[in-house]
Amino acid sequence: MIEALYKIIEMILFPGFAFIGVLSLLYEWIDRKFYARLQNRIGPLYAGPHGILQPLADFIKLLSKEDIIPEGADKFLFTLTPILFFAINLLLTLFLPICGTTGVISFTGDLIFFVALLTIISILVYTAGMASTNRFATIGAERAVLQLIGYEIPFMLSIVSVAISSRSLTIKNIVESQSSIWHILGPNFLAFIIFAITAQAELERIPFDIPEAEQEIVAGWLVEYSGKKLALFRLGKDVETLLLCGLGATLFLGGPLGPVVPGLEIVFYTLYFIIKSIIVLLVLTTLRALFARLRVDQMLVLSWKYLIPLSLISVLIVRVVF
Amino acid sequence: MPRPGYMVSEIYKNLLKKRATILYPFKERELVHLPKGFRGRIIFNRDKCIGCQMCFRVCPAQAIKIIEDERGKRPIFFMYRCIYCGSCAEYCPVKAIELSDIFENIAFNKKDLLVK
Amino acid sequence: MSFYIPIGPQHHVHPEPLLMKFKVEGEQVIDVEINVSYTHRGIEKGFEYRDYMKGIFLAERICGICNAAHTLCYTQNIEQLLGKEIPPRAKYLRLIVEELSRIHSHLLWLGLAAHQIGFETLFMYVWRDREKVLDLLETITGNRVVTAYNTIGGVRRDITPEIEQKIRKSLDYLEERTKYFKKVVMEEPTVLVRTQNVGILKPREAIELFAVGPVLRASGIKHDIRADDPYIAHDEVPFNVVTYDTCDVYARILVRVDEILECINMVRYSLDHLPSGEYRIRMPVIVRPPPGESVSRVEAPRGELLHYVRSDGSDKPYRYKVRTPTLANIPSTARMLTSRGDYIVYIADIPIIFGSIDPCLCCTGRVMFIDIEKSKSWVWTYNELVRYSLKRFERHD
Ligand code: SF4
Ligand code: SF4
Repeated sequence: MIEALYKIIEMILFPGFAFIGVLSLLYEWIDRKFYARLQNRIGPLYAGPHGILQPLADFIKLLSKEDIIPEGADKFLFTLTPILFFAINLLLTLFLPICGTTGVISFTGDLIFFVALLTIISILVYTAGMASTNRFATIGAERAVLQLIGYEIPFMLSIVSVAISSRSLTIKNIVESQSSIWHILGPNFLAFIIFAITAQAELERIPFDIPEAEQEIVAGWLVEYSGKKLALFRLGKDVETLLLCGLGATLFLGGPLGPVVPGLEIVFYTLYFIIKSIIVLLVLTTLRALFARLRVDQMLVLSWKYLIPLSLISVLIVRVVF
Repeated sequence: MPRPGYMVSEIYKNLLKKRATILYPFKERELVHLPKGFRGRIIFNRDKCIGCQMCFRVCPAQAIKIIEDERGKRPIFFMYRCIYCGSCAEYCPVKAIELSDIFENIAFNKKDLLVK
Repeated sequence: MSFYIPIGPQHHVHPEPLLMKFKVEGEQVIDVEINVSYTHRGIEKGFEYRDYMKGIFLAERICGICNAAHTLCYTQNIEQLLGKEIPPRAKYLRLIVEELSRIHSHLLWLGLAAHQIGFETLFMYVWRDREKVLDLLETITGNRVVTAYNTIGGVRRDITPEIEQKIRKSLDYLEERTKYFKKVVMEEPTVLVRTQNVGILKPREAIELFAVGPVLRASGIKHDIRADDPYIAHDEVPFNVVTYDTCDVYARILVRVDEILECINMVRYSLDHLPSGEYRIRMPVIVRPPPGESVSRVEAPRGELLHYVRSDGSDKPYRYKVRTPTLANIPSTARMLTSRGDYIVYIADIPIIFGSIDPCLCCTGRVMFIDIEKSKSWVWTYNELVRYSLKRFERHD
């Protein structure tokens, strides 16, 4: 009984939904602020100290906006997708080992489950675009699927090479196998680079913000969404950012592990996790500031010509070493 | 030679630099760069004006109206029509008109934008 | 399956109103229809109701960014009509401001081009450094963009030694930065793949479709009014006409970037060789040129600009005609945006291809009323336009 209650508190408060919500808004702020500073701008400024509440303010503003469902849209799918998008992202965060070596949910082989659900997110992007029947949204949705074909394989392979080197498909074991040395410092460095690039594609950020290319197709698959639905998508995206940064930290930077003071493990683990995932976030933000957007065909060429062979090489190296 | 991420050193250099944006409307107003001879809101000196109406004739935007007051003919300036060309100041024979460096010519009421 | 997608009249890459209707198949563009007439302002008619001096300020407002070129063209025209020669110092001063505003325009465009291919960082840096040249223009003329510098008979302000020092200092900075931006464009692979072999305009097509300015020069044709038909001090200030022959967007970027470097050298040269003496000859407020007509051409930042004036001896022009470079470049854009043979245009390329002509649509609008049912066409007179606009204005007042 107490056990179950404890699990529920874990799920809802810490390190569950409430904590994740706050953290993901914080990450959006870090991303925006750092991006702005790289470009010699200020970034968010007025809401809260240094604009730290700006993502929250945006979210609340969007909630209060009129929610329009276009006449031609498939109403059921149009309403369902934002909810699913947010829910799946939130569900996945429960797997992240934030305050210990295991997440709130953990079972043998949960990495496979995790990655499979990540793919579903991209499929949801497709349904979101198609359900709104806007021309720009349709093009955006098509691009999202094309892009999925491009980045999914190297993304998986980079995870596989980590799994091989820790000889496990369970997040818990992967974290524990890094207690002596982080994966990024070993032969998995190449895998980390590929992970960072493909995570950028998964998150639809420059240079791979092709499905929502603002300059070309306005907002792509998001174009018809407004009000609460858009707010859900935006928050879902933030959670996804946290998810991938967390995954990067877990797989390559040793997750929450580090020197701890006995008795205060939870605090230290959480702190290490946050610091490490912020490092991954900064890497992703730097990538975002460095490039121009690719065209979708060029993105496919990039991934099939360079990323997939590279990730295969990385898997091979790891296989030989371990 | 193409090099992916060519700007990487530049962006990190800029991370340490002071931001280029100035917090203009609320703070750092003194950083707004205004050179000598800026063409802003008109300052009119009634004592100098001799009522020759030259400014009225050259104004391309019809922002000037000539009215009569106790000392004779004089111009008034509607800043909401003015295009800040500076013709009036240039052609005024006694230099009664001057373009100042007040550039925030916004008001809720048209009357506030009347220069007398 | 093909369908139409509209770009414009409201689209955030091209803040100016125009409608491009694209027939697309998947990601490929098959056909395009361009409609530019959303911003007709009745400017040509407006000239006929203003005397020559006030016309300068109207000419200035044809286009905000090329305003120096427009006033230059206008004042040259009127000076030709009057048979007046401006003092040599004024010629150099005009050249300095013209070239500075060309630098400003090209930097602005470079930033926009970076924005159009999604390179936000480059966009921010270019626009940050563009402030330097805007500050220069502000110091020389009294305003950042709308210079109001040229006037009939010369220029309105002189350059003092302090301003000269300031110009030289800023030019050094601009030169260094422009060289850096050129390197970024030439070495960043994502920029290269987005711009090379995109928006091809073959030299023959460019001539057939009357392309002008950097678009023409990027197709490898050496054509620049400054060199072919020198005006103001261009016959004394040496410069190279920049051409590239890859005929694509990449060439257009490089042409403009190299032109910035040329402009910087030209401004330096003219500061070194600035003649002394008067900078303007005083003109009466009302000028009455003798009856006759005159044409003047200027190389505006976007290409060849042509003004035509006809005078009937009164204090107002009888007819004024403006041919702006963007209007001349629209047919070639339509060609660049259409897939043909193995040259394929993708939806993703639309912004940068259209952007590569440096469109400035506010000076492009033309209007004519056409009643399809009665197959009749007519134009509005100035008074009708004024009445219409006043009616609109009152409603919102
Ligand atoms: S500055 Fe120009 S527009 Fe303004 S009042 Fe003077 S002449 Fe008229
Ligand atoms: S031109 Fe000068 S003196 Fe003449 S009316 Fe105008 S302000 Fe007065």
